[in-house]
Amino acid sequence: MAQQRKVPYRLVRFKKFLLQMLKNKMAFTGIAIVVFFTFLAVAAPLLTPYTPQGSIVSGQLDPPSWYPAVAGGRWSLNTQFSGLAVQGSSGVQVSVLPGQTENAVNFSISSPQPGSSITVTKTISYPFNGPPQSFLGTVEVIPTGLNGTAGASSTVNIQQGPNAYLLWQTTLVHGDYAPTTSLTYPLNFATTGYSAPAIIFNTKTSYEYVLNIVLPAGVSQATFIVRNFRLLLFGTVWGLFGTDNVGRDLFTQFVYGAQVSLLVGLLATFIGIGVGLVVGLMAGYLGRLVDEVLMRFTDMMLVIPGLPLLIVLVAVLGPSLWNIIGVLGFLGWMGFARIIRSQVLSLRERPFIEAAKASGAGTGYITTKHIFPNIVSLTYVNLALSVPSAIVGEAALSFLGLGPQTVVSWGQMLELAHGAASSAGLLWWWIIPPGLGIAILSLSFILMGYALDEMFNPKLRKRQ
Amino acid sequence: MGLRAYLLKRLLNTFILIIFVITLNFIIFELMPGLQGAIVNLISNPRGNEDPARQQALLKLYGLCSSFVNGTCVPEPIWNRFGTYFVNMLSFRFGDSFQTGQPVLHDMIGTGKLQNTLLLLGTATALSLLIGTLLGVLVASRRGSLLDSGWVTTSLVTFSLPTFYMGLIFILVFAQWLQWFPAGSVTPAEWALGLPPLSQQILVRLQHLFLPALTLTLFFYGGHLLLTRATMLEALSEDYIVTARAKGVSQRSILFKHALKNAALPLVTNAALSFGSILSGAIITETVFNWDGLGLWIWNSIGWKDFPVMQAIFYIVALCVIAANLFSDIIYGVLDPRIKYQ
Repeated sequence: MAQQRKVPYRLVRFKKFLLQMLKNKMAFTGIAIVVFFTFLAVAAPLLTPYTPQGSIVSGQLDPPSWYPAVAGGRWSLNTQFSGLAVQGSSGVQVSVLPGQTENAVNFSISSPQPGSSITVTKTISYPFNGPPQSFLGTVEVIPTGLNGTAGASSTVNIQQGPNAYLLWQTTLVHGDYAPTTSLTYPLNFATTGYSAPAIIFNTKTSYEYVLNIVLPAGVSQATFIVRNFRLLLFGTVWGLFGTDNVGRDLFTQFVYGAQVSLLVGLLATFIGIGVGLVVGLMAGYLGRLVDEVLMRFTDMMLVIPGLPLLIVLVAVLGPSLWNIIGVLGFLGWMGFARIIRSQVLSLRERPFIEAAKASGAGTGYITTKHIFPNIVSLTYVNLALSVPSAIVGEAALSFLGLGPQTVVSWGQMLELAHGAASSAGLLWWWIIPPGLGIAILSLSFILMGYALDEMFNPKLRKRQ
Repeated sequence: MGLRAYLLKRLLNTFILIIFVITLNFIIFELMPGLQGAIVNLISNPRGNEDPARQQALLKLYGLCSSFVNGTCVPEPIWNRFGTYFVNMLSFRFGDSFQTGQPVLHDMIGTGKLQNTLLLLGTATALSLLIGTLLGVLVASRRGSLLDSGWVTTSLVTFSLPTFYMGLIFILVFAQWLQWFPAGSVTPAEWALGLPPLSQQILVRLQHLFLPALTLTLFFYGGHLLLTRATMLEALSEDYIVTARAKGVSQRSILFKHALKNAALPLVTNAALSFGSILSGAIITETVFNWDGLGLWIWNSIGWKDFPVMQAIFYIVALCVIAANLFSDIIYGVLDPRIKYQ
């Protein structure tokens, strides 16, 4: 029965607490910002279709797409290609096999005379007067049925009217492979290439992306599998936040960076608060020698300069995400342990503890049931106030190149921007968002901490 | 307890701290598996020599093996290793840098790295103390005004911006867009060929110093400002201030002679205690501005896995902080009459 009444009471108290938080201006701002970033972090895969480290989405170092209003003459990637079309020269019978998509087709041909050719084409009406920043053409061709011949010569071109710009030239050889294995084995033609875009795309007109295959003499029947047949034109502006020096989307990196910052900030703080709680409780309640030893150790750890120790530890242990969380956590407990200790020292002398002792309660019972509830509010406040130092600590480590390499974090974005500055200079769209993210997220936790402090600390509470 | 007993106790405390730092260093660098791996890595490096004699010599040099029997390592007992390590650290023998092959101490002082860091740190510490204290006194004297809340907010904001971010923004604005100051390095690259006349040298050096020092100063004046403001507000509410006002003492005299003098103690302690965090800030600032000091050096050593350099820098930096603490304790003891006459 007692248990049943307790739960609703807690709920009511929590609701009251929440309402009180939301009424406080500082707390509300802090909570709103944290909720916003948490949303970014959790919904990252929904907010952006790209991966932060893999996808190349546009030209290199593109400013954000809302920016050219100032600069002018820039454009974003929005190329409208037709699907591909397969066509044989006169007399060649082409039969397209089922399963054709925008970028892939399988077809078999039969031709009565030697030297016939097949073309696979995509067309685009290029809508801009200036060239794209760069382009990327890809194609994979797998021929079967070319046994014992010199191979089919093939070219990939971009054509505009009478002009043809050759991208690659290769001979497609079937080799000795049996036709049935051709799908997996003889990948004779798989290349990617970049070329000077200004030479090719200089007018507002229609362009064709063409794969041309000339059959070798003596071949009357063959099958070709064409995959990944695409031409990507990369614009000179991109998205909300622009791109980095590889052409990756900075918005994607920013959103995934929020994940890392929140994860590291919260987990490291939980570890730090946990260790601090244990040390503080032990030192404060057990007293004497334990207190002396623990506090001496705490003082010494407080004197050691934080960042050099972090750098050295992460450099020795290796820069993985969990190492960083652990190191940040285990170096962030000292201040909190001191606060807890001093609080416990004063609680220990209160009459209700004496009463509990007199009625036979053990050390464990008293610390968990009597002392701990009285320092919970301190824990909340310090939880909020310690998160920023963990966030900034992780960002600093990442900025120094000691961050986890498998994920993108805000500090790492700044590191890359700083590293690329020697060739391109610092770019505002690359450095402003991640830094602001760190600063604003940190500030929001500080605001929440101050608000909590105000609510729990009767000295700071305003009279109503 | 007189002043002498107080100072003796502080000195003893300092020695314990130094022993603690050396032990920590030993645990991190000697007991964790990093060092051995780094040595093996160094030997298989094209720059190193691959013959086993050299490998054995290195393993002996770094105290991992006491001797070799048929080519296999006989590990040195841990206490012997600690003893050797302890003596080496106390006598500043850090071994040779993996990068340059030179003794670490030579690289640290002979190339001016330590001096560069101390120059940057000294400038930033002095400026942030001066600005923070003066502004703190100013806003405390006009409590509740727009000036007060404005400066408090500003210092909170600069306090919560990461140093490296502030540095990057300054480079972007002042070096790249406005081109008022150089973006990095201690001296211009062309000075390697020949030095200009002294007056120009000083000017150019100051130009190079400006942005990194500004970054660090802006990061640290806020803490001093807030603390000065708090202690000043407390001091200004004391009765003797009211007495001074009633006597007709000028406002400036009240602020600086009566209030600040009594509010100064926590400021002195805080200035020394914040030395550790200002050092951390300097490490980052140096990498942002390519400032050839200890911070840039430790950053370079990470990539090289240059353990002798890393442990030397960590040790020296910790010694600096411990020295600053001792210094603040001494000043505190001299300034606070309660300690002298207890």
